[in-house]
Amino acid sequence: MFDRALVAGGLLAALLLMPATTALAQGLDIPFEVGQPFPELSLPSAEDGQPLSIRDFRGKKVVLHVFASW
Amino acid sequence: MPGWHEATRQLQEDGKLVMLGILQEQHGDRARLFMQWKQMDWPLMVDSLNLLEVTVVPVTVAIDEHGIVRHVGLRQRDAANIGELFVDKTYPAPGDSSDGESSKTGGKEAGDGGDRRRAASRDISRLKAEAIRSGTADAWRAYAEQLVLWGGERRVSEAIDAYRSAVALDADHGYTHFRLAAASRMRYDSPEGEATDFSDAIEHWSRALEIDPNNYIWRRRIQQYGPRQAKPYPFYDWVAEARDAISAREEEPLPLVVEPAGAELTSPQREFQADASEVGEPDPGGKVTRDQGRFIEVEKVVVPEKVAPGQSVRVHLEFRPNEQTGTHWNNEARELAVWIDPPEGWQVDRRRLTVPIPRERISDEPRRVEFEVQVPAGAEKGVRLPVYAVYYVCEDIDGTCLYRRHDIPVRIEVGE
Repeated sequence: MFDRALVAGGLLAALLLMPATTALAQGLDIPFEVGQPFPELSLPSAEDGQPLSIRDFRGKKVVLHVFASW
Repeated sequence: MPGWHEATRQLQEDGKLVMLGILQEQHGDRARLFMQWKQMDWPLMVDSLNLLEVTVVPVTVAIDEHGIVRHVGLRQRDAANIGELFVDKTYPAPGDSSDGESSKTGGKEAGDGGDRRRAASRDISRLKAEAIRSGTADAWRAYAEQLVLWGGERRVSEAIDAYRSAVALDADHGYTHFRLAAASRMRYDSPEGEATDFSDAIEHWSRALEIDPNNYIWRRRIQQYGPRQAKPYPFYDWVAEARDAISAREEEPLPLVVEPAGAELTSPQREFQADASEVGEPDPGGKVTRDQGRFIEVEKVVVPEKVAPGQSVRVHLEFRPNEQTGTHWNNEARELAVWIDPPEGWQVDRRRLTVPIPRERISDEPRRVEFEVQVPAGAEKGVRLPVYAVYYVCEDIDGTCLYRRHDIPVRIEVGE
């Protein structure tokens, strides 16, 4: 019983410490994969319509939000 | 997202982190107004055509300095320790990509925006020639996409024609229908707009959703522009509040190309219309992805447990958001609907049931439905009654929103 509780506690701790991210993406129809390049799609900038792509941010760490304002 | 902005402000100011947005919306200017309101000066890319092919929003991704995805599905709660989780880490460059930029872009698109735009224009001519030469649906789609992205308003009609050529060759490609609809709506909003553009957009968005009913982005687009419902959606109710707040800061709110109207606002603009598409079976093709309890847990009770032929039973269903995944109902979309498909000779009082949704934007209360089943007088044995529910949920706060189906077969025991 003690061992089982220890194992369960360890698993819980591991889950809490692991990059929250990979597990949460499972089963959610998200087409990006950890370890793979983010698609280098050129899209119009909302500011001026000029092409913008993730490669414009090469050399920088980026947190990217795919979203809608609604 | 505003929570992310606040939590990472210092990292952004220190140049350690860039916050970037990709918008899955028809009108990019509306998101710019939203960001002006929230004082978020991030670069924002507009993906009205859903070229990224995400099917849900929001999705937050961490991308390292080499363009490699390091985390997918980050949540609001990750913002507070994004330094430790991501920013302070060192990631190795991929093996042979020291000159990855030129190799991945082919060199042609590098340079400033103006250079790239000119390159894109040249690309349009090349893609047109390729579409005519090869005559494939893929080639027509590629040509149409570049026209919408870089051709400007004056070339939207060409894009619509190119998408129509692709549809004629490949009628079951959902993305082509979705993008043809988006282009039709763009022309409708432009000075070149034609009366049929709006109805064409609705027709092709509907067709796209028929082909893939799991795409939440597509589903929201048809709700946004489809007929108003008895419970309209507050897509852009925030616009008035945003303008007031921006003006109070003595700034000029950014202008919108098209004012939100109709089903995009909860305030009545015209008489409600019933939506015939929502009267029948919600998922006749069985295409909607099944939820097996990750989001919603279902309890069923049949009273009485055993019923005599010719008598009836009452079935109670309770739907509870799964606390472990932090699921809540998405009340900005549509109500939970239950569909019952009785075997021949068996009868139910209603085949389609719905649960009214509260006024709050999100909630996590249990939802209940019940229905009566009439057993045929000649029934000799029980049945497994096919029942399913469809619903809109979001996982966690600031989490991904989805449309899911839950199969709930109900066993009816027959006996004296």
